[in-house]
Amino acid sequence: MDLSGKKTAIIMITTALWLIITFLGWNNAYLVSMYLGVVLMLLYMMLGTAKQGKVSKKLFFYCLFPWAILWIVSFSLADYYANLFTGVVPTFTVLGFHPSFAATVFGYWIGGMLTLTLMYMTFKDEWMSQEYWDDFTKKIKEIDKIEEPEEGGAL
Amino acid sequence: MSTMTKTIIVSFSFLMIIVSFLIGWWAKKKVTTSEAYFGSTGMFGPFTVGLSSTAAVASAFALVGVPGLMYSTGNAMCFWMLSSAAFAMAYLILGKKVRAMSEIGKVASLGDLSDLRYNNNKVIKITMSLTLFLGCVAYLAAQIKAGSELFAHLMGWDPLLTGFVIFGVLALYMAISGEVGGLLTQAFQGLVMIVAGAVIIAAFFNITGGFGEVLRVTAEAEAVTVNNITKDFSPDMLNAWGSMPRVVAMSWMLIPILGTVGQPQVITRMYALKDPRDMPKMGMYTALSHTMVGLLTLVVANGALYLVATGKIDPLVSGDRAIYALADYSGVVAQLFVYAGVLAAAMSSASLFLSICSTVVSRDIPNALGFKFEPKKQVQISRISMLVLGIASIIFSITQGEMVGILGTFGWGTLMSATFPVFVIGLLWRRANEKGVMCGSVVGLALNIISFAGFKWPGALPWYFNVVALSIAVTVFVSLVTKEQEINKKLEAVIEL
Repeated sequence: MDLSGKKTAIIMITTALWLIITFLGWNNAYLVSMYLGVVLMLLYMMLGTAKQGKVSKKLFFYCLFPWAILWIVSFSLADYYANLFTGVVPTFTVLGFHPSFAATVFGYWIGGMLTLTLMYMTFKDEWMSQEYWDDFTKKIKEIDKIEEPEEGGAL
Repeated sequence: MSTMTKTIIVSFSFLMIIVSFLIGWWAKKKVTTSEAYFGSTGMFGPFTVGLSSTAAVASAFALVGVPGLMYSTGNAMCFWMLSSAAFAMAYLILGKKVRAMSEIGKVASLGDLSDLRYNNNKVIKITMSLTLFLGCVAYLAAQIKAGSELFAHLMGWDPLLTGFVIFGVLALYMAISGEVGGLLTQAFQGLVMIVAGAVIIAAFFNITGGFGEVLRVTAEAEAVTVNNITKDFSPDMLNAWGSMPRVVAMSWMLIPILGTVGQPQVITRMYALKDPRDMPKMGMYTALSHTMVGLLTLVVANGALYLVATGKIDPLVSGDRAIYALADYSGVVAQLFVYAGVLAAAMSSASLFLSICSTVVSRDIPNALGFKFEPKKQVQISRISMLVLGIASIIFSITQGEMVGILGTFGWGTLMSATFPVFVIGLLWRRANEKGVMCGSVVGLALNIISFAGFKWPGALPWYFNVVALSIAVTVFVSLVTKEQEINKKLEAVIEL
């Protein structure tokens, strides 16, 4: 997935999303805002993981995309069951949790954490292989050789 | 609580303070460069840095205030506290780029990162530093107040004296060994919090029998009144949203998750990692330790609700008493670890924020104003400023309670508004230029101050949500309408990495 040349458009979309979410938030449209929040995070992660502008398909389809779906489903279920059992004791629980809150615990918290963290570890070479990092440091050394050393932060 | 129990609790907690001091003292031998003192740059492995990140993120508010809010208003706050996925997300978004910045120049502080990215732009560095200072001093004061008052209340000591004993030691070891001591002691304090979590989780299941019982009794209790204090219960209080407006839950999801990538205690730890390829592993350690802290807050709130709903304890005067109420009911072992855990949370966050405040006032702002010192001299100046700031913060926190309360509204969102335009936008998008980020930073600082002065934003969103959104929008808009800026090849390589 090549984002080269599309980064400015993506940053403009993320900025628009910030403003739209804020506006929706003022008007109490919480659920749509949460869905858009997931899209916002997904776009930032795509920009962050892109290597020379390209997002790894494995990283996207096994890590970022399942995470986004999981969170959208968890917010939907949290809302659905909260509305279904408003003012009454729920007719079932999930490991003792209110079904609405169980969506938060197992989808948003544990599911989200495991999806992002485990897949990040599993596909760490897609994120940055040793060879890729070595190439980067080598490139920096080569630039240093032909340019004045960067002064950088003052110490 | 008997005097003997109090003495044991205080002795155990003070043992933790002594061990922290010894770690800090030992760490000074690792401080061989000014980058080590200010940033621990490239020095530690994923386990140590991961634990340190969790400990610095999980402040006393996480252990005391969050369960208190959940006790009072239900589960909406869980969106904030159960944000363990945020660390992997932060490393995916910014991890390799921040770590790579330390390969293209000397990086020991957030100010250095700003210098490298924005061609030593003074306005960006100063405005970001001032906003950081505002957020950090607010956090620092809140930690000192919470830690000092806890033990002063427990033993009937003078709060100022208690503050000096606990946080004076902290200021001393931070002055001696800087961020190296800070990071290592935070890792130790993170371990203490995890053990405290394990103890209180075991106590919770032992007392309640599990979350199902809590749900049942809170759904059936309706209301419990003792001594004119009433705790209302309802079948809805343990659903996902609790009793807060649901839009607040939305902001408590988005701000902590995306805010994590902008927290100084997370960004600084990205360049403290020795091998950048260990970042996914660090994400795992951080997420697991944060999960433990999250579970701790969840069981504390649920445990307190269960005890009140079943009449085993009286309704709490304040939700913030939830953790102590559960610990006191659970017995001396839980008390030992809970009190030490709260102190560990306060100390770990305080040390990080003291370090950042000190670096801002003794190094980043003077440097931006043209005052440059030799590395050795710079470390000496910062040691003095660390001690002076530490002492001043203790006096301020204890004597200006009302102001600390007002400042307490600053913190997470303020820090996010300082760093998000500068680093997240700046390192993901090469088109972000000095003018755009300068305007975004100035607007962010101004809106923080306006909000501090009492400006009311529309809707039920927390004020910092508006500030963050507007500072990002201004950064992007001004960058787009002004001329694209050339960036050097090394920076280009980092942004494309």
